[in-house]
Amino acid sequence: MSLLNDQIEKQIRQTFEALTGPVRIVLFTQGENALECEYCVETRQLLEEVSALSDKITLQVYDFVRDAQLAEQYHIDKIPAVAFLSESTVPQDYGIRLYGVPAGYEFSTLIEDILMVSQQQSALNAKTLAELKKLTQPVNIQVFVTPTCPYCPRAVVLAHQLALASELITASMVEANEFPHLSNKYQVYGVPRTVIEDVIHVEGAVPEARLVEELMKVLDGATMQKLRQEWELHLN
Amino acid sequence: MDLNLDLNANQLNHDNHYDVVIIGGGPAGATAAIYTARADLKTLVIDKGLTAGALGLTAKIANYPGVPGEISGADLLKMMREQAQSFGAIFTSDKVQAVDLTAETKTIFANGGTYTARTVIIATGSMGRGQRVKGEDELLGRGVSYCATCDAAFFRDQVVAVAGNSDEAIEEALFLTKFVQQVHFLSPTPELKAAPQMMAELTAHPKVMMHFGTAPREVMGTDRVEAVRVAQRGRPEEIIPVTGAFIYLQGGKPITDFLQGQLPISDTGCLIVDKEYQTALPGVYAVGDVLCNHVKQAVIAAAEGAVAAIAIEKQLHHRKQLVADWAK
Repeated sequence: MSLLNDQIEKQIRQTFEALTGPVRIVLFTQGENALECEYCVETRQLLEEVSALSDKITLQVYDFVRDAQLAEQYHIDKIPAVAFLSESTVPQDYGIRLYGVPAGYEFSTLIEDILMVSQQQSALNAKTLAELKKLTQPVNIQVFVTPTCPYCPRAVVLAHQLALASELITASMVEANEFPHLSNKYQVYGVPRTVIEDVIHVEGAVPEARLVEELMKVLDGATMQKLRQEWELHLN
Repeated sequence: MDLNLDLNANQLNHDNHYDVVIIGGGPAGATAAIYTARADLKTLVIDKGLTAGALGLTAKIANYPGVPGEISGADLLKMMREQAQSFGAIFTSDKVQAVDLTAETKTIFANGGTYTARTVIIATGSMGRGQRVKGEDELLGRGVSYCATCDAAFFRDQVVAVAGNSDEAIEEALFLTKFVQQVHFLSPTPELKAAPQMMAELTAHPKVMMHFGTAPREVMGTDRVEAVRVAQRGRPEEIIPVTGAFIYLQGGKPITDFLQGQLPISDTGCLIVDKEYQTALPGVYAVGDVLCNHVKQAVIAAAEGAVAAIAIEKQLHHRKQLVADWAK
């Protein structure tokens, strides 16, 4: 049975008319048929149906265990995992990831990600882009979400825009219910919660300038050291 | 498995750009919509519902010009909206989360989608909250929440509190009952201010314990919410053990939190405007009770909506002066 109804399919086709460059979607799942991992079946079917709606999209499906080397290359450590690459002469990985099925409100994030990577435009303001150039080291952003959270896609898309704009940033959506060990680790009781480099925690879908302000704390050695110490205390 | 796919159709809709987006559908917003729509400006009014604001909750009005006898606020508002709709204004029931008003094209982020506009009228009224409850800010994301639909799953089989008395508070409490063991519903007033059928559903629900005339004074806890301390009319304060506190309280402050500091606000929390009700940002207007320079009367809010709408019509049609078209 199809996951996309006629109306949604029509809307996506219209949206995909704005695609400019080709996009490669890489899905990591595990197992086959009835033994495929929880939520991987739905994620795979959803991506198969969405990718079929434009000839500019290709979908590659890998097995997390069988293709472990490739998973490591993409820095993927949990499934279902989705990565988005733009397909130019050399495929470019912007570090944009979805962990968990992009269902509910996050379905729109999936479509936005495809558009963003295809157009290779982040829509961030000039001030943000200037700030991002100051980064000197890799930064990992995780945005915890639930599918029933209307505020979450804005937080995820903003993080993904930052990843598109800076090759030093990796930004992931993490579906909090599917990865309870991570929700427990980061004490997630409300979403969206954006976690930067494990130690900077931002509650809610904050404006671009506010998130960038938090992000740029990674350049402040003293602040990061203090936050890391507090984080270590929390973990112990 | 039902994935409840939400495409956020408005966000992906190529036709979501408006000449005027009005945030708030009370007398100020609805009147502005009458004028802008009649001036052939593509107008969208985003509103939480007919009974979400002060006029919608008013039982009787007998002094609105041209409307003889007593009429309920909701009925008066319904007439205004129907008049605006007859000129082409679109009303959508939605909650605005945030805005970006600094660029030439304004962006409005709502639960149901993202809208863009050439101009924006803020008509959100003054039922916003004042001071936060003690402990609320510190425990935000650690058990304090403003969105049960987002966070309910984190409180499965737990005991939570919901504070409020509006439609929104009731809807969120009923959503929580699908997950939690018990909901303590803390209504600061002796009666709820909501639709009768919703009140009936809430009060009859086996998982809901009603506490009328009960206001939260403190959200207690160190790393996580552990309890709420409440004040009850005619009774000593009580501490109710809960792991979640969902807060939907209203008050008498202008609703400006969604602006996230993009507009100057006076010491009393009000937006500052010029004589045409334009704020410090070009193309952004504010009218009605969200301002503090008048008595709170529907007719005054409506008049402000009209002035702002005429100013917008002048701005978008590049006129030098306000033109009141008396012939129409």
